[in-house]
Amino acid sequence: MERLWPVELSPRTKYLRTIWAEMARAHSHLLWLGLLADAFGFESMFLQFWRIRERVLDLIEMTAGHRVIPSVNIVGGVRRDINAEQKKVVLDALPTIRKECEDLIKVVVNDYTVKSRTVGVGVVTKEQAFLLGCVGPVLRASGVREDVRLTKYDAYGELSFEPIVETGGDCYARALVRARELLQSVDLQIEALNKLPEGEIAAKVKGNPPANEAIMRTEAPRGELFYYAKGNGTRNLERMKIRTPTFNNLPSLLVMLPGSQLPDVPVIVLSIDPCICCMER
Amino acid sequence: MPFMLPTILKNLFTGYATRMYPVQVREPFENARGHVVFLDDKCTMCGACALRCPSVAITTDKEKNEMAFYPLRCIVCEVCVHVCPSDAIELIYKWRPSLYDKPVELHKSTRLAHLRESADKAKEGAEKAKD
Repeated sequence: MERLWPVELSPRTKYLRTIWAEMARAHSHLLWLGLLADAFGFESMFLQFWRIRERVLDLIEMTAGHRVIPSVNIVGGVRRDINAEQKKVVLDALPTIRKECEDLIKVVVNDYTVKSRTVGVGVVTKEQAFLLGCVGPVLRASGVREDVRLTKYDAYGELSFEPIVETGGDCYARALVRARELLQSVDLQIEALNKLPEGEIAAKVKGNPPANEAIMRTEAPRGELFYYAKGNGTRNLERMKIRTPTFNNLPSLLVMLPGSQLPDVPVIVLSIDPCICCMER
Repeated sequence: MPFMLPTILKNLFTGYATRMYPVQVREPFENARGHVVFLDDKCTMCGACALRCPSVAITTDKEKNEMAFYPLRCIVCEVCVHVCPSDAIELIYKWRPSLYDKPVELHKSTRLAHLRESADKAKEGAEKAKD
């Protein structure tokens, strides 16, 4: 939205947005890993992941106010700030969370039960994933090095970020991509919090959206999120288009599902992390 | 299973991860967005909050001096708190308790009523002075 005016964001705003985006990614991936375990009946792992997720949600609530959706972005900046006290609490909590995640991810990577239900299930090759327009972890699990964070929006240009790529293309590879991204997300949070610069958290934005067009791509936990906005000088936007990652990832089921066994269907459908309510627009 | 074993053993010898909820309640964080509270002595019924509310949880009627707030529609986005020109809406960090029905909070602005009263009195005084 800031690109409509355009408004220049302060460095602190960019870092804060990055921190909350990574927190949201961490909790989303923890939720997904739990659901994956639930999909093939590994209930104890499901609850272990959700137990860690609860602590991440507490961190989001402490800093942003809400639990699942931080809801801190306003045009020109953010609504909340992370003060020194909160920064200390978060920095103390994150290494423990990372350690616990590492322990559980060892189970995902090595366990016989997990492997027998995910390896070779729902394979999408590199070419197919590219042609079907997959985004996010589905695309990266098929071996394509593609991540919107590489465009260096917000503070990603200043952080040591490297996209995670797996080559398997099956449900196991997608689980690995998300598991490794989870650890990377915690690392990025720690790095961004340590580098957090001082400054204003919100720039002043005057007037209605001008007659202008703007597009923005961001990397949501599920993949590329696309926004298009068109203003006409009045207080209401003329057009607003949001394309969510599930919209791109859903066609890949056409390749994954045929020929699979019925008990594998929940695992395959879940492996693209579908959000039907996001897609239906 | 062997990879899960350390976690299982650790869980056996550590405390509970959950709370006995209605008995034991965790205090919300100071920064949390609990719910919004309307201060009738500051409100002027200008309708800025009703106009900006994304979930249509507020309706105002300046003529009748009536404001209705639907707590279950509210998503605690904090927009009304920021747009209010007279700081009549406050954010409380405590959560709203669970409910059995869908209540509607009706508010009457005491400030507006007071202003109108004094305006009426001034008018009367002016009319009397004319007579």
